[in-house]
Amino acid sequence: MDRRDFFKIVSTASAGALAGCGNHTGKVIPLLVPEHEIVPGEEQWHPAACTECAAGCGTLVRVMEGIRTIERGGETVRQRVAAIKKIEGNPLDPISGGRLCARGQASVQSLYHPDRLRGPMRRSGERGQARFAAVSWEEALGQAADEIARQCGADPLGIVFVAGPEPGTRSLAIQRFTAALGAPAPVVCSIADHAVERRAADMVFGWKGLPVYDLARAHCTLSVGADFLGGWASPVYYARQFGAFRQGRSNVRGRLIHAESRLSLTAAAADRWLPLSPGSEVQFLAAIGHLLLDARLARNTDALPKQVAAAFQSADPGALLASCGLAEKRVRELVRELGESEAPLVLAGASLVHTNSLDAVAASHYINLMLGNVGEPGGVLAPASAAAPGRRPHDSLPDGLPGQQPAPNRAAAEGLAGAQVVLIDSANPVYTMPRSAGVRDALARAKLVIALGSFTDDSAAWADLLLPDHHPLESAMAVVPAVSRQLAAVVSTPFVEPLYDTRAVESTLADLARRIGVEYSPVTPRDIVEPLLAQPSAAGGATYDDVARQGGIWLDAPPAEPRLAGVALELASARFEGDPAQYPFLFQPYLSLEFHDGRGANLPWLQELPDPASSSIWGLPVEIDPQTAAKLRVANGDMVRVESPHGSLEAPAYVHPGAVPGVASMAIGDGHEHYSRYASGRGANPLAILAPVWEKSTGALALGATRVRLARAGGSRGWIQFAAPDREERPFGRR
Amino acid sequence: MTHTQHRWGMAIDLDRCTGCAACVVACHAENNLPVSTPELAAEGRTAHWIRIDRYYQGEFPDVKVKYMPVLCQQCDEAPCEPVCPVYATYHNPEGLNVQVYNRCVGTFYCANNCPYTVRYFNWFAPQWPEPLPLQHNPDVAIRPGGVMEKCTFCIQRIKRSKEDAAQEGRPLADGEVRPACVQSCPAEAMVFGDLNDPESKVSRLAGNGRATKLLEELGTKPKVFYLHKAT
Repeated sequence: MDRRDFFKIVSTASAGALAGCGNHTGKVIPLLVPEHEIVPGEEQWHPAACTECAAGCGTLVRVMEGIRTIERGGETVRQRVAAIKKIEGNPLDPISGGRLCARGQASVQSLYHPDRLRGPMRRSGERGQARFAAVSWEEALGQAADEIARQCGADPLGIVFVAGPEPGTRSLAIQRFTAALGAPAPVVCSIADHAVERRAADMVFGWKGLPVYDLARAHCTLSVGADFLGGWASPVYYARQFGAFRQGRSNVRGRLIHAESRLSLTAAAADRWLPLSPGSEVQFLAAIGHLLLDARLARNTDALPKQVAAAFQSADPGALLASCGLAEKRVRELVRELGESEAPLVLAGASLVHTNSLDAVAASHYINLMLGNVGEPGGVLAPASAAAPGRRPHDSLPDGLPGQQPAPNRAAAEGLAGAQVVLIDSANPVYTMPRSAGVRDALARAKLVIALGSFTDDSAAWADLLLPDHHPLESAMAVVPAVSRQLAAVVSTPFVEPLYDTRAVESTLADLARRIGVEYSPVTPRDIVEPLLAQPSAAGGATYDDVARQGGIWLDAPPAEPRLAGVALELASARFEGDPAQYPFLFQPYLSLEFHDGRGANLPWLQELPDPASSSIWGLPVEIDPQTAAKLRVANGDMVRVESPHGSLEAPAYVHPGAVPGVASMAIGDGHEHYSRYASGRGANPLAILAPVWEKSTGALALGATRVRLARAGGSRGWIQFAAPDREERPFGRR
Repeated sequence: MTHTQHRWGMAIDLDRCTGCAACVVACHAENNLPVSTPELAAEGRTAHWIRIDRYYQGEFPDVKVKYMPVLCQQCDEAPCEPVCPVYATYHNPEGLNVQVYNRCVGTFYCANNCPYTVRYFNWFAPQWPEPLPLQHNPDVAIRPGGVMEKCTFCIQRIKRSKEDAAQEGRPLADGEVRPACVQSCPAEAMVFGDLNDPESKVSRLAGNGRATKLLEELGTKPKVFYLHKAT
């Protein structure tokens, strides 16, 4: 089917996908493209789901003929296969709206990656050395099942399943598997699961899930700590919203004021950037709340719980703003602008988690409440998961979906510490957890470590068995988007043959459960979609096939009123580990546009995508301000040593004109010990040197809570800048 | 120069653009761009038909960053065209600066003459480890070593849309042709269309008060319009 036909069919399938699936169309997209249906030069478009982050964008995939060279009987032969040429957004999906980010589009390179695992493997060297030998599925599954069964008999609590944050068929399968074994619930190990934002919405509004900010209809937006155009919750959705916010209305141009301790993509796009001291978001928001009340610009003061209003009123804006490193006069002007706006919005998040981030995001919700925009157009809206009437679709699944609940990194560290059998899927704890969290020691101590991913990454290097998954584009799956006003599931149906001797994790787990002899019902996308089809807002008569054909289901959810719990506002300062006298700088490892939490680093397209801040390619620098650079006597590309109380790294310096003085930032993505030819051994991992400090209520890893000292390391290696230097920044006239 | 039925142009609204680089990867995927290695990249041999230029302005704390996608400006008076000794770079009837790869002998004159530095030279034959070539778009030629290449406004997509419209016996609709960068842009900052059609979205944006052209003073008559950030 070509692209045009796809739209013809889906437009009859659902006149408005948001209203759910409509009539049966009679013509089904061929689910798997057989070789004889591949006509040279002809294209087919199939809907699929993007799994590069938790946003859950619906995609359209272009399939055409491809020629693959394989070895068969000692000879090299060329084989015609259905090959994926390009990934775009699915226009029917209200999240992606037909658009897709750089990482989503690059994910086709992980399908055709030269270093993908081609079949099951068993460790042949020491743990951590990443030396493996091929083994049959029968042998690998037999060994895994025996050892898991033995552990089940001895102590099922010693089985730890480390998983990613994306809810859907995968998380459900893992949850059923651990439940069947009597093992603890899977631990979600991710630095991109937004545990803080989820907890704050639950705490203040009683909403489960991430709130949806109606940016496109807001007039003046104050965003605090959320790099929503970069590596935050749903970058494509919010970039689409941002475009409409700015130039989508004939009479209003949205104005964006952004407060963050880094000149992020969002800060760059803003009309005003307020450079906050790291961790002072809650003090900043308390001052904003006070100034709004003080200037009588809070139009909905009555809605505010009394103790919260009192806390805002008793705040001292001068002292608070001074602790944020901001001038009070400038902030007062912006508060007036926000308060007088017809549709004001405060969008706060914790792109850089601090020990007090939960208080900051909670304070932002109270400010939205006093501005009267909760549940209103241009305001903060309830997520679909909060709004569904009666039985929520995922309630029919045991205990909901693990990704829907706050997923504390601290729990992952603690769980791993006593683990005997470890299974790892869609997570890379060795890379994303600080060295000081002891993940390596835990993996070295465990009796059995099984990795289920497609690559030998930093964590898989510690495995005894590799049971490689199909690529998501070769798999049947349903994904629940992280930020959605609609009750939604994005559905992907396999349409190309698996390239290698891999197996979907869902079927590997089912097979293991059968061999172990525990009761387990295999998971299919129908388990996620069918409860949605039973919703009152779903069109009658719609079937699973209709949903698969259009790539997902998106149902209107009625608005949910916030259930205010009246939690008190706390103004605790962020805690930083390290003696300020010895470690005078604050360190900010951040989720990057190109590599997210580090998982994109194995793709050559992303390695050569210039970093937005420094324009570096094939390597990431540590960003420091010009005064610090002058003191350290370093220029762009000179190696800098970054030392924390828990370790040190060396990276090239980038003298960033917008870096907050006293703060060193570094994008996450480099420093993989093992992650294919394109990432292994390249650069340094900023997460490795962090202190094991957690957000105080959720247990999320506090990315920004470590102090460091900086020193010139001498030499300059491996610094490649794509663009010409933006400024002359060589104060000492060297080179 | 007069153009036949269509005269393709693009408008890029910098008030919408976030610098997210979705367009850059979209272009790589669509046009079979060679993937560099760190060694080649260190020698400045990384090819990007579209790139995001960034400019820092002001001093901390009043620093601003400007991101700006820059691609071939498809000039009507293109400095790259008259210098090619073998007519590898020429102006097609729809206003595109077209590169004929099998004519190109790699003199580099066109790249020397381009004020926008959007031409990229294949110093070596590109290499893709197996099975990465399975991703290659069969609609776009793989360029050999020694050949200059650049943005084509996704001429293969223009052709495909024209063929689709012709098959259905109707004129091309405005917005029907979307180069890969335009198709991908989440903020909808990029708009492509026919400048001969005064009602097309791109024509209307080109007439917007915020619209300017890059290095217009050189007299190159670009067909890419940049809409400045509003204040």
